[in-house]
Amino acid sequence: MAINPAIDVAAEGLADTPHGGWRAAVADFCRRRPLGAIGAAVVVLMLAVAVSAELVAPYDPVAVDFGAMLTRPGVQHWLGTDAFGRDVLSRLLYGARTALLVGFGSALMGATGGAIIGVGSAYFGGKIDLYLQRLMDIFLSFPLIILALALVAILGNSIPNVIMAITIPMIPRSALVIRSSALAIREMPYVDAARAAGFGHARIIMRHMLPNVMAPYLIMLTAFLGQAILLESSLSFLGLGVQEPTAAWGLMLRGAAVDFAESAPWMAIFPGLAISLAVFAFNLFGDSLRDALDPKLRTL
Amino acid sequence: MGHRGLRILALLASFTLVAGTGLVDPAAAQDKPRHGGELVFVVPSEPPSYDAHQEETFGLIHPMAPHYNTLVRVDPFDKTGTKPVPDLAESWNISKDGLIYTFKLHRGVKFHDGSEMTSKDVKASYDKIIFPPAGVKSLRKDAYRVVEVVEAPDPYTVRFRLKWPESSLLLNLASPWNWIYKADLLAKDMHWYEKNVMGTGPFTFVEHVKGSHWVGKKNPNYWDKGKPYLDGYRAIFISASSAQVAAIRGERAHIQFRSFSPAERDSLVQALGPKITVQESPWDCLNFVSMHHEKKPFNDKRVRRALSLALDRYEGSKNLSKITLVRDVGGIQVPGTPWATPPAELEKLAGYGRDINANRAEARKLLKEAGAEGLSFTFKNRGIPHPYEPVGIWLIDQWRQIGVTVKQEFIEASAYHPMLKRGDFEVAMDFQCGFIVEPDLDLPRFLSTSDANYGKHKDTVIDDLFQKQARAMEPEERRKYLRAFEKRLLDEEAHVIYTLQWHRIIPHSSKVKGWTITPSHYLNNQLDTVWLSE
Amino acid sequence: MWKYLLKRFALMFPTLLGVAVVTFILIRVIPGDVVELRLAGDRGSVSDEMLNAERIKFGLDQPVWRQFVTWIAGAARLDFGTSMWTGSPIWDEIRLRFALSFQVALMSTIVAVLLAIPLGVIAALRQDTWVDYTVRIFSIAGLATPSFWLGIVFILALLILFKWLPPMVYTPIWVNPWQNLAQLIWPALAVGYRYSAVATRMTRSAMLEVLREDYIRTARAKGLVEKLILSRHALKNAMLPVLTVIAIEFAFLIGGLVVTEQVFNLNGVGLLFVQAVAHRDYTLIQALVMLVAGIFILMNFLMDIMYAWLDPRIRYR
Repeated sequence: MAINPAIDVAAEGLADTPHGGWRAAVADFCRRRPLGAIGAAVVVLMLAVAVSAELVAPYDPVAVDFGAMLTRPGVQHWLGTDAFGRDVLSRLLYGARTALLVGFGSALMGATGGAIIGVGSAYFGGKIDLYLQRLMDIFLSFPLIILALALVAILGNSIPNVIMAITIPMIPRSALVIRSSALAIREMPYVDAARAAGFGHARIIMRHMLPNVMAPYLIMLTAFLGQAILLESSLSFLGLGVQEPTAAWGLMLRGAAVDFAESAPWMAIFPGLAISLAVFAFNLFGDSLRDALDPKLRTL
Repeated sequence: MGHRGLRILALLASFTLVAGTGLVDPAAAQDKPRHGGELVFVVPSEPPSYDAHQEETFGLIHPMAPHYNTLVRVDPFDKTGTKPVPDLAESWNISKDGLIYTFKLHRGVKFHDGSEMTSKDVKASYDKIIFPPAGVKSLRKDAYRVVEVVEAPDPYTVRFRLKWPESSLLLNLASPWNWIYKADLLAKDMHWYEKNVMGTGPFTFVEHVKGSHWVGKKNPNYWDKGKPYLDGYRAIFISASSAQVAAIRGERAHIQFRSFSPAERDSLVQALGPKITVQESPWDCLNFVSMHHEKKPFNDKRVRRALSLALDRYEGSKNLSKITLVRDVGGIQVPGTPWATPPAELEKLAGYGRDINANRAEARKLLKEAGAEGLSFTFKNRGIPHPYEPVGIWLIDQWRQIGVTVKQEFIEASAYHPMLKRGDFEVAMDFQCGFIVEPDLDLPRFLSTSDANYGKHKDTVIDDLFQKQARAMEPEERRKYLRAFEKRLLDEEAHVIYTLQWHRIIPHSSKVKGWTITPSHYLNNQLDTVWLSE
Repeated sequence: MWKYLLKRFALMFPTLLGVAVVTFILIRVIPGDVVELRLAGDRGSVSDEMLNAERIKFGLDQPVWRQFVTWIAGAARLDFGTSMWTGSPIWDEIRLRFALSFQVALMSTIVAVLLAIPLGVIAALRQDTWVDYTVRIFSIAGLATPSFWLGIVFILALLILFKWLPPMVYTPIWVNPWQNLAQLIWPALAVGYRYSAVATRMTRSAMLEVLREDYIRTARAKGLVEKLILSRHALKNAMLPVLTVIAIEFAFLIGGLVVTEQVFNLNGVGLLFVQAVAHRDYTLIQALVMLVAGIFILMNFLMDIMYAWLDPRIRYR
């Protein structure tokens, strides 16, 4: 990701709470940025489904039923069944759980880890900055999927390991972006003034730097969410992510789904749509969030 | 005598197998072979080196076998892939005591560089395979422990002297890996063949572009006059199976010599209709469940038998054959081949009976007796889509029916073998793949002393039975020991649990003639009998 | 400025070294080794002495630091050794694959740029109108669709609708341009569409920022024609971050198209990488990572030069 020189310093930043509190802010958001609102709604829906999958799913996602293998979408199975007779809808709903778990897990840790490093690097500067930057550069040089591949090969195939494997490449990307925002603030005279006045590091970071990196942090987070879900599905597709019989969207696109792409297309279409929808929603929301948080735009 | 009857039975069995799935093109007799054309085929992986004595991947055999000959080979028109016929040897003679094999070689056979092939080349090649010098790898030398010495008394005679009689040696020598190299080249550099090609085969080497293709051209001076029919061949390396299917479907390639899945076959048949011919055969490959005998409760044979009894193999065969590469219910030899147990006999073994409810009731009883009720364990499986994953899912579901809870853990293909070797498993999926259907080649890994005995079972009875069947020169006697071996392995002791026989499906362009499917994807790749119709 | 650039240039080397070390250690931590895989492979069992003898041949019995030193000594002479799996020189293995990946990356980037810049500019100029919404949806759709899914759909569509299949074998463009393009245009479109998404959003957001800058307001106030403002001031400054994104993504396209290559059957660097990892072919993995990382680091440096040249604030560092 590139350094975004446009994320500027404004004293206002996020420290202002809008008039009327949070509820008004949300309403304002929905009204002014309908796309983002739709995105957010989809995200909330996914979360709800993932959490309540046991209640909502009509069948057990791992129950094999050869009598019903490869049935078309219909009354019994709304989205059809796969090669083992497992209900596609149920697997999709449980798959949301895996996707969000891996997605949120890695995005949160990746963005936060990167933020910590970015802010620290920018604030302390000097040798620390130099070394941290080199370290980040080194990890940045590996393409995402290659690093994830290697890490899964080392760590193994379980969900926590996959989360780790996706988090690690994300940290330097987040660090790079956050650092450049934090750097801009660092240059500001009032930081030096604060130091001169004797305020501690922690206080300065908390009070001045963090609020101003909130915007890029949130944007990175939403971008990572989409990327993590895609990366997880690519890894599953290659056979390196979550494993059978766990329900996961990328896994559903592998093997039998490709074989039967013509005779039983529902096996591949629905998981593909689910992935696209999820990434779509996260990105729309993230986009609108960025627009909303940009202090320059808020003055309009 | 019984041997002949079995051959007919085998032929009938294979015909019914084949007739049930579509049509096959019975090789020799029909139309007259047409000369000309380039065969294009797809190969999923590339050869790591060029020396067949050191490799065991089909990625080497498919593009390279046409450059070479072996001493004897498996009859390319025989569906069971078990009949040795002449290749470089035009005839042979076995001494009465079974200790001396004498081969008479064809005359006038030339290497691609023009020099003549004589017995010293055969001797040098076999010395490399059976008695490799230090620093030279020979992957299959243990299979030839029975050979004491290889002699070349005159330029057109080769003699093998054995330490003890072994009925399978002739078929063993028909191994598709035992390419005959040029003695002079080996004398200069034992590693020459790792990076170079020089054989006597029906096609000469043109080029190998890494990551792309392999091209061979007709050998105009081939010793088998009139052959090969093709002008040349082109092997394209394509790893993704969807792309392989697309190649055949888009009529850019004629055939893929390994196998396609049932769904892929169906989509090709649907798309191309009469332009596609499908050949199918049981495959000399099988997944079996290996249980670690040194870990509780798998040291108790009641538990092992229970796990085998739980499997409804016949129902599983019906269902799984629609979605993945398995089909037949088999024992220790590929169904339809000379040493395979007839289905009626097979049903007597534990887990092969037709009454699944009775089997499962007995399984539960056994588990209770062994104090293993509510058993739960982790099943390690290889991360490969066909057929490991589907068979794994099926197994877990079947075991659920007797109250056993299993969690499946997939290990990446490259890390799998080391895991087995370390013994780092309770129950794991293993596989037995052979390149020729022959008990002496398929069964040694089940010996207690074998390095491949990852379940670490110790059973002198089974070792003894194997020895006896290997030395038995009379077919009936050998069959008796093989049945006993099978019963001990799968029933009495249930050292391993056989799942279903893999099934080989080759949908190919109807223009390809003269190629017959066999149970082994390593056989019948010399392409000298193949021709393209218009 | 020159001092700045010199510093950046010098920094390339320790980064490369760091990548080499990390890779070296990382791949040796992965369980399983090439000797085991090559010899015992799928089925059989090979004696431990045979395995150890092979290991010595590859130098795998040496302590890791010494293996690294040997490798570095070779790398300094630009000799990256031979593949542990096939025994062929590394450059032989990589050569054709690299040409293909490079071309796909280039073509994809062109497609991405042709899509992204006009779309991003329009979306920025018509922010929050339906034009903006359409552009954003179109570009995010590109980001959201899994590439392997798109690839499978592409090929199936070509087969079913047009009964045509792209060439299966790679011919370099100087040998047969038509066949070359017929094969590579499809993955270029699929990948290009995907990467245009990132670039479009970047262009849009950068344009938005720039359009609100004080100097634009000043220019508008001065009465300068809109078009002039756009091209001379806005676009030029907006281009900086956009070019950065494009350049960096280009570097990643070379090794990162693992799944796309599989689906379109391209024998490129990504696929080679997956195979190398499956084979635990240390020398090849090392060489490939160095290649991709090297390109990335080089791109970064070129970006530094461009930034220094375009942004006067940096010039006087």
